[in-house]
Amino acid sequence: MEQSTQFPVLSFSEGVKDGFPICIGYFPTAMAFGLVCRTAGLKLWEAALFSLTNFAGSGQFLAISLLSSGAMITEMFISVLLVNLRYSFMGAVITPKLKDVRGIKRFMVAFGTTDEVFSVAIFKGRNLSWRYMSGLELISYCGWVTGTFVGFWVGMFLPYAMQMAVGVTLYAMFSSLLAQETRQKGAMVLLISAVSATLNSLLIIFVHLGTGWSFVISMLTATLLGAFFISDEGLEAVQ
Amino acid sequence: MSHNIPYFVYILASAVATILVRAIPYYASFLNHLPPFLNKCLRLLPIAALGALICPGAFWDFNPTWYAGVMGVGVAYILAWFKMPMIIPIIASIFVTYLGLVL
Repeated sequence: MEQSTQFPVLSFSEGVKDGFPICIGYFPTAMAFGLVCRTAGLKLWEAALFSLTNFAGSGQFLAISLLSSGAMITEMFISVLLVNLRYSFMGAVITPKLKDVRGIKRFMVAFGTTDEVFSVAIFKGRNLSWRYMSGLELISYCGWVTGTFVGFWVGMFLPYAMQMAVGVTLYAMFSSLLAQETRQKGAMVLLISAVSATLNSLLIIFVHLGTGWSFVISMLTATLLGAFFISDEGLEAVQ
Repeated sequence: MSHNIPYFVYILASAVATILVRAIPYYASFLNHLPPFLNKCLRLLPIAALGALICPGAFWDFNPTWYAGVMGVGVAYILAWFKMPMIIPIIASIFVTYLGLVL
């Protein structure tokens, strides 16, 4: 802990302050999730349980879309595991900075590791305290959970065609992410996702494979093809 | 494909899958030393996931008015390309899909 002699230990309120933009950013996405849950036929408590226990953007959207398309529970489990696998690598980067945090506290920090929490914490550039991480993660978590409630509730007042249209929400979110990734990392992103998109469409529409398996097969095939054919230099941009 | 498993079991299974991948690095250190090829795969995986998450659902869910979903996804892509905060592409996408459904 040599650093603590130079910098004061990061406080809870500093965590909350840093996490506030994340909270604001999560709210509308969580609202979209609440709306999607309503359209999929879930009850309010089920939608809330989703956000309270998962706290994972794309993982939850994937799980709800597989659930509503009638996928088997094993298909969903493996798909969610794979989509969230990136958290393992984020965690591996955070761990060395997280000294003297053990037991249930360590578990709670792990639970709250999201893409945004990770990037904020890691650019803090020094040892992370339990107080700081709990503030950062708690405020983000609040935005995610309350957004889910509000989204579900707002859905009650929407006409039928509008509720149908809301079904596009998660595709719009994935499409936006794809646009951001393509802008940052180049056409290689479009190429890889085009492979998985085409394969997934063929498997579902013509082979009538289950949604979950089809998703896993398409995702892994496109990943392996990309890893074989894209040079390490081409990959440098993908951090 | 109907199933009799209650929703909350699915939700909790998804929670277990999520916490598993989150907690592992906090208790094991082998992830810091993966072979380069696996590392490369793991960086490409989220990108590969996006394609399969969008298609075929984005048009298949809206059959027979499949073009409504395609329009919505297209608008979201264009707006996000121009660095709009994510809520704007999403709202615009819902609006455009709604127009595609009712017109």
